[in-house]
Amino acid sequence: MERLTELARLILAEAEKLGADYAQCEVAESEKREFNVDGGRFSLMRTLFDREVSVTVLKEQRKGSVGINRFDEESVRAAVADSLAACESAEPDPAWEFDTEPREESFTDGCPDCDEEALFMRTRELLRDVNERHPKIMMEQMITEHDAERRVYMNSAGVVCKTTSGWYDFELMYSAHEGEKGSSFYGSSVRLQNLDKPVIDCAFIEKELADVEKQIETKPMEGKFVGTVLLAPMALAEIVLSTVSNSFLSDAALIDGTSIWKDKLGEQVADPGITVSLQPRCPDVVCGQRYTGEGYAAEDFDVIREGKLQSFLLSQYGANRVGGKRAPANGSNVTMAPGAKSLEEIIGGIERGVLVMRFSGGEPAASGEFAGVAKNSFLIENGRVTDALAETMISGCVPDMLMNVRAVSSDVLKDGTMVLPYVAFDGVTVSGR
Amino acid sequence: MLQDILTARKGQFDPGVHTELRGQLNRQRRVVLLSGNVVANARADVSGVSARVWRNGTCGFSSMAEYSPEAARKVLEAATENAAFMDAHVPAGKPPLPALKYSRRALGWDIRDCAQKEYIEAARALDAYVTEHCPNLLSRTVVAMEDSMEKLLVTSDGMDSHVIAPRSYCYVVLTAATPEGVPVEVMRAFGGEGTFDRNFSDPASCYKEIDRLYEQLMQKREGVYADAGLKTVILGGIMTGMLSHEAVGHTVEADLVLGGSVAGPCLHKQVASEKVSLTDFAHTAFGKRCPLPVFVDDEGTPAVDVPLIENGILTGYMNNRESAEHFGMAPGGNARAWLFSDEPLIRMRNTSVHPGTDKLEDMIASVDDGYYLIDSGNGQADTTGEFMFGVTMGYEIKKGKLGRALLDTTISGVAFDMLKTVDMVGDEIVWSSSGFCGKKQPMPVGMGGPALRCKVMIGGR
Repeated sequence: MERLTELARLILAEAEKLGADYAQCEVAESEKREFNVDGGRFSLMRTLFDREVSVTVLKEQRKGSVGINRFDEESVRAAVADSLAACESAEPDPAWEFDTEPREESFTDGCPDCDEEALFMRTRELLRDVNERHPKIMMEQMITEHDAERRVYMNSAGVVCKTTSGWYDFELMYSAHEGEKGSSFYGSSVRLQNLDKPVIDCAFIEKELADVEKQIETKPMEGKFVGTVLLAPMALAEIVLSTVSNSFLSDAALIDGTSIWKDKLGEQVADPGITVSLQPRCPDVVCGQRYTGEGYAAEDFDVIREGKLQSFLLSQYGANRVGGKRAPANGSNVTMAPGAKSLEEIIGGIERGVLVMRFSGGEPAASGEFAGVAKNSFLIENGRVTDALAETMISGCVPDMLMNVRAVSSDVLKDGTMVLPYVAFDGVTVSGR
Repeated sequence: MLQDILTARKGQFDPGVHTELRGQLNRQRRVVLLSGNVVANARADVSGVSARVWRNGTCGFSSMAEYSPEAARKVLEAATENAAFMDAHVPAGKPPLPALKYSRRALGWDIRDCAQKEYIEAARALDAYVTEHCPNLLSRTVVAMEDSMEKLLVTSDGMDSHVIAPRSYCYVVLTAATPEGVPVEVMRAFGGEGTFDRNFSDPASCYKEIDRLYEQLMQKREGVYADAGLKTVILGGIMTGMLSHEAVGHTVEADLVLGGSVAGPCLHKQVASEKVSLTDFAHTAFGKRCPLPVFVDDEGTPAVDVPLIENGILTGYMNNRESAEHFGMAPGGNARAWLFSDEPLIRMRNTSVHPGTDKLEDMIASVDDGYYLIDSGNGQADTTGEFMFGVTMGYEIKKGKLGRALLDTTISGVAFDMLKTVDMVGDEIVWSSSGFCGKKQPMPVGMGGPALRCKVMIGGR
């Protein structure tokens, strides 16, 4: 950490010498240990040693950024000079602003020390558990890894944040097969800070494997109906949360004025049962964000509370551009408050609908309208999950769906990066052949 | 420019195993103008060295963010140890790979590293043209970018090489509101292989296409929703390219075949109409240089074309050396890595349906009630061949004539079913190359094809 701190100081001193009005940098070194399984068998072991230097400078309200992965002094000085050269070509923009309240922080998150033997044993055990408990599953690819990182953020206003962190990631990509028939592929993943229990018992991995095994025999749905769509946590993130985040609340959508929620702060934008937060400090999040890209300490906050819009996802730059308020964090540590009913109870109350585990669709329009294929999905009829579906499209409008929430489940997925329930929406169009 | 500090390390290679040692430098330059304001202005250089050792069917890999003889020694040592660990704990027990003949490819060209000012000036020129000639926009975005890969590879057998692959683009994104106030968007990418100064010495060369893009946006803001269902459509070349890559290409990557893709049981079977042939081209297609040519891959295999579908019959897969041995096919140079810290994966290069003999105007005239689909925002496909593409620009066809523009929609289907419905194939190829293919690592790829007449499910409202 001492070496990283020294490099960060060198960068800021060099930037000041070259005439920067403000400078910030991140200096990091990382190690990755990784096992790969391909086509159901071990294929590769990787050990990576990486470095990162990123420099951002402001001069006369112009901004330039440069990234390199070398630590030698000559390269680092050249990177600072390059960032100054880059900013000199840009237009002045008074909206650029960074944290200028001096503070010095130091954090250790997750598990910085890798237990490589345990990682290998848990990987081998996971492959064996999948083969034994779910013999129809073909593991197209499984990547298991430990990442360790030491990182220093420093800016010329006296903000210093040092983090030492480490985590284990397990990512599985698989499909189910019987003879020449096969299901769609599906991905399960989890981020962990220890390897205390078998990985198949973490997050929804066991349930997802079992569900995909039921998707070998699929039926195309005939006709079209408007009904209930029950989105599993990952489909909820893909369809609803990404649209809200990118199209309605982001810097870009608000600066260019295309956000249809630009005047909705404080107003009801969703059913009162919906509370969405960004929670980098949530105990169920492993190694959540410590500081934003502009140097501010990252804090938990509600984006939508009981259906009312509480905050945009603006950076300080975006906030200055549109006259708004900076969001206390950014990143992907999203949580949604659970509801009262179990998944089983919710399904029991649906007369006709579709349970969607994964969505394959185009980028939603700025209006929130979307259409795409319901992948790894089941028909729900008279309160029961029946056929696995093929070639079934769902289409709807995210803002309308948020006002038409039927239920939020008490079951939640905790995958180490997010905490999300199942959510059932009414009024979504489902069309088959 | 990478100096050759790696050839001297060949003495450290373990005998009896396949070893690759690769030095690499990736450059990325990016400027984003959002409604005239520079919101991104960044440069990144990422370099280092990696080694991969293949021993009896499993691999060890290691990389360091440093390009030096000492780093090369360390990664070779670590990769060799990792391969030995795998061989000891999860032995695959495979015989050695057939050796490739030694050859060498020297650096083809040098590249100029343009100053950030040049990107900003080009972006400003395009933005100024849009401001002056495209009234009533809700917003406009101009992106100027370049990325390049320089690789120096030495191998225990096969081709040692030093290659540079630069590409540069400007993207123009225009947004306007429909009469109901709903935003609609169109996008065009300009550029291709080569450095930014080579492709954008005269930004005015893009103006005519920007006029066309704006015209499409104005038509789209008055557009209609497609009528959902199974329809006869003419897919434009960009859409055919997306289909070639996403819906067919991925299913015939040998690692995905081994993972259970639909192409496994279909080899040597009819998977498309006999009018359809598809090839993953290495560097030259239909007598011209490919959009993103590849001459050697990162396992040291010289790159050659890989025929995938010939007159409707599935004839082959894309392979690395190991999968080629498994399937009894010849490796064609498809093993490619994105960063120095990435291991080579089976990737496409320039994948295209072959041209036919039909004229586009005749194809459109042949459709009584359908759609002409020109541009795609994105696409996704399953290993079952089920695909979904966003359609960002298209038109109705009524009684053989183009009608109203379409609002954003999607098409979906199952590739090997849908390809059997192809009954007309256009005579002109359209390529695109500005995006990344995603598969553990990103990778620049070219994709292309002629117009196709076929039946496909189209989403409506």
